[in-house]
Formats: sequence, structure tokens, C-alpha cells
Amino acid sequence: MSADHDLDLAVRLLAGTPTHEGRDPLTLRQWAIAAEEFGSRMTPEETPVRVVERDDGLAAGLLARYRSRPPVVELYVDTVARAEQLVVERGWRHWYPEGSVRAAALAHEQAHAWLHHAHVRAEFKRALGHTALRLGRRRVYAHVAGADELAAHAYARAACGLGRSPLLLTEALAAVAYPESEK
Amino acid sequence: MGVVILLVMAAGVAAMLSRKLPTAFALVLLAVVIAFVAGAPLTGKDSVLDTVLQEGAPALAATMIAILLGSWLGKLLEETGIAGTLVRKIVEFGGDRPVFVALGVLAVSALVGTVTGSAPAAMLAGLIGIPAMIAVGIPKVTAAGTILMGIAVGIPFELPVWQFFSTALELPVDTVRGFMVKLFPFALVAAVAYVLVESRRRGVEHTWSLKSVQDKPAAPSRRKLLGDAPWYALLTPAVPLILALGFELAIIPSLLAGVLYALVTTTRPRDMNRRLLRTLYGGFEVAAPPITLFVAIGILLAAVKLPGAVDALEPLVKAVSPQNPILFVLVFTVLVPLCLYRGPLNAFGLGAGIAGVLIATGIYPAAAVLGMATSYNQVFGVADPTSTQTVWSAQYAGVSPQQVMVRTLPYVWVVALGGLCVTAASYL
Repeated sequence: MSADHDLDLAVRLLAGTPTHEGRDPLTLRQWAIAAEEFGSRMTPEETPVRVVERDDGLAAGLLARYRSRPPVVELYVDTVARAEQLVVERGWRHWYPEGSVRAAALAHEQAHAWLHHAHVRAEFKRALGHTALRLGRRRVYAHVAGADELAAHAYARAACGLGRSPLLLTEALAAVAYPESEK
Repeated sequence: MGVVILLVMAAGVAAMLSRKLPTAFALVLLAVVIAFVAGAPLTGKDSVLDTVLQEGAPALAATMIAILLGSWLGKLLEETGIAGTLVRKIVEFGGDRPVFVALGVLAVSALVGTVTGSAPAAMLAGLIGIPAMIAVGIPKVTAAGTILMGIAVGIPFELPVWQFFSTALELPVDTVRGFMVKLFPFALVAAVAYVLVESRRRGVEHTWSLKSVQDKPAAPSRRKLLGDAPWYALLTPAVPLILALGFELAIIPSLLAGVLYALVTTTRPRDMNRRLLRTLYGGFEVAAPPITLFVAIGILLAAVKLPGAVDALEPLVKAVSPQNPILFVLVFTVLVPLCLYRGPLNAFGLGAGIAGVLIATGIYPAAAVLGMATSYNQVFGVADPTSTQTVWSAQYAGVSPQQVMVRTLPYVWVVALGGLCVTAASYL
């Protein structure tokens, strides 16, 4: 049941990503499963990245941001703190252990950096299996917008040993931060 | 009397800058006051009512029709999914290389920019293009700027703009086309440089956003479920361009051919009538703001060309206008920022009036004024934080128009410099 909900959230994220307007929900589901599988078995290299803490995340609707030049991860500590508080309020501590939100944020951004490596990109596209062009037996795999976000979340879940996808936490945070739009 | 007219113009700029009056209303008011100050009678030959208002209002009628047809074609590109398909294909083929996606969206923006300018072009390319670029890691400011720089690449080939400069400056379309072809390489090089340099400087960025799962996608409409537009329909934006540039066909039939091509390549015969009418009426809505502006510009041009206004302004303008080609380039390059914030050199505002004065007083040949105005238009079209396309692109990307201006201005300033150099070399 919970796994189904996580997958529904993943499909919703893909469906809301531009270029997927009108896509068959079944196709989106297959991509979501493939992206999550790929992300959960990724083994990104440890690279030194500067971490900068900021406290304007709730206003901006952000939990973390990765920038490649220069490599830096911005961690929005107010959102992280609100997420930890939310975990307690909802009784989700068994899914998200103490301090796991910060760790998941760092892992999520580490996964994004890893997904920019050429060989990882190629492998990821093959795993998704979406065809952009077919010439006889030759096949050009297509990029699936939004799939890297799912892979990054899946990696964060696996790396931090979370009981549920970080997407559940994202959904709960969004409901708290933007209560009006949830109605 | 010339000083009074300049003071009236300055007051008009102040009214536009302070948003006390919408640009179109300010230009009409300015025109009427200038006409009275220039000693024009109320009715009859060279008068306020007959010459300025009656003859000035429809003076740019051909431009208005071209704008309407461009907007109609833009609506068709949107409704038939042609613009969206172009962006989707680019993301599918090159989404794992953010620079490739940005260059692709730049090309799509340039194509739609040739059809319809301003906010409609930004929306056509940006509605999918901006979030698609952000999704592959392009920073928000770079994404918004890419759309605008792309539209600016299309501006030299935007047929309604050819029509505008041809009518407003009383130049043959051939002359306008000839200069635009020379301006295009500068716009193209600057736009590609923008994408490459900014991508290198800023790299990529990815966010863990709370909004990613918050927005529930709307149920897809039946049109969207029909899928991508066929590949041959994707050539639509190029059709008017090929006809006007390659076959030197007139502007209005070229645009009409684009409308027909989009229709027959995407629509079943039984749906054609309904789609044509629906998109045409939608086009009227899109074209309303620029057409209003062109009515006002026609009135202003009629006022500054009145004999009394020309006689009053000639000695003043002559005294401050550089005749030496090098000085011409230097002075007018330094003055580039005056086309921003609805400033006095904005070709779609008071700048049209100033261009009219420069031609009417014979200070520069009309072709040189064309060079100046189009060079400034390249800056205004991208960097002006008050222009509709800049405001829309910036806000849709989630940044401020000022951030976009700061990042794009150096590139478009160089385009203006290039245009002014060509102008000085060709016409002075």
C-alpha cells in the first residue's frame, strides 16, 4: 500500500513535468518504476562538495539545491527543521530516522551530480527504454524529463535507509507550506 | 518652440516611466500637444484633427494586419501543438545535455520569433521550454534569457517588424530586408554566446523543490491526447520566412501561406473551418496590445512630421547629432540604455517619433535611421524589464525581470554596437 502511494507520487511528479502532457499514465508508471530502480542501485562516487546552509527555504519552496559551478549544495535549514518536526507530528519517525532529512538532502544532490556523468546518463537512458528514433535495428534512446529527479530521490532513500520515499515528505511539506493550493 | 516640443517629449517619457499613463495613451497625448505647439490648425491641411488623428491612426495599417496574421499563426502553432512538439523533441534527443537543450529551445524561440514577436512568442516557446530547461538543470535566469535571446534572433526576420519599419520610415521592404539580413549574424552570435558562456559560468542546478509533487497535472485535453504534430508540420514557422526571404513574396501573403500550411498539415478537413475561426479570433486578442500601440505610433509620427514641428526641431536635433561615422557609432552605442524602461529611444514608443524627426529634418538618411532603430530594437526586445516578453519570461521562470536584464544586456549591447557599425559603414 505504502509502496503504491510512493509510486503514485512518482508518477504524479512525472506527469507534472513539462513535455509529458497527455502521456499515457501506464508509460509514466513504467518510467517511474525504472527510474526508482536505477536510482536505488546507483553507487555515486564521493566528491568533495561545499555545503552552504540557508534559511529561506520555506519561502522559496526549496529543501536543497545543487549547483555545479562551483560545486556547492545549498541546504535550506528551515525546511529541513520543518520536515523533521513534521516527521514527529505525523508519527513517521520509523520511516525517517532522526537527522535523515539532512542526510537525504545531501544524498539527493550527490545523485544529481552523478547523473551528469556521460556513462551514467547513457546507462540511465537505456534503463528507461524510451526511444527517440529507430533506424532499422539501431535505436536512439530518449531523455525522460523528470526521471532524474525520481532517481535522485530513490538513491537518497536507499542511501539513508528511509522507510518511505522522500517524495512523501515533500508532499507533506508542500501541504503545510501551501495549504491553500491543496484545497 | 523646438525646446518646448523636447520638453513635452520629456514629460511624455516621464509619464510612461512612472506608469502614470499607458504608453499608447501617452503617445497620442504627446502627438496632440506637439501638433498644437507646432502651430497646427484644428482642421484642414496639416491639422491636428485631420492630419494627426485621422490620417495618423491608420498610417501603420499594413503593420497592424501583419501583426494580426502573425498572432493568428502563433495561435495555430499553439493549438496544433507544433511549438510544444518542437520543444519536446529537443528535450527527448538532448535532455541529458543541458546546453544542447538550451540551444534547441533557443532555435525554437528564434523560429517562433520570426512569426510573432513580444509576449506571444515568449509564451509559445517558453510555456514548455522554460520548465523543460529548468528540469534538465539550466539555471532559471539563464532559461528565461535563452527564450528572450532566441526571440531576438528571430526579430530580424519577423515579417511584421519589416512591415513596421518599412511603413514608419517610408522605406521599401527590400531596404529593410537588406539591413535585417546584415543584423541577423550579430543577433545569432550573441544568442549562441549567451547560452554557451552562461552555461559555462553558471553550470547546472537541481533543486529538491516542495512544488514538484504539489502541482497536480490537469486532465489532458482531447487535443493533447492526439499526440505530437507530424514532422512536416514542424516546418510551419519557416514557411513565411522562406517565402518572404527566399522568394521575396510580399509579407501578408507569406504569413497567410504559413497559416494555410499549419492548417493543412495538422487538421482534418471537417475541422478546418472551426479551427481557423477559433484561432483567428484568438489572434485578435493577442494582437490587441501591439495594434493599439501602432495606432498611437502612427499618430505620433504624423505629429512630428508636421511642417511646424520639423522647422522647430531641425536646428536643435542637427546641433546634437554626430555626422562623423565613428562618433555616430560611439555616441549611439553609449545611448543604448535609453531604449530601456520605455525610454526615449525605444522604437515602439517615443523612439519612433525621434526616428521620424531625424528623417523629416533630413539629418540622417532614412536607411541610417532604420539601422539605429533596429539596433536599439534588438536591445529593447531582450533586456527591457518593462517589455511584456521580458516580464513574462522572467516571472514564469521564477526570477525578476531586472535579473534577466543584468545578464542579457552585455550581449545585446554588443549586437547594437554591431548594427550601428554596419549602419555607419553602409549609410553614412
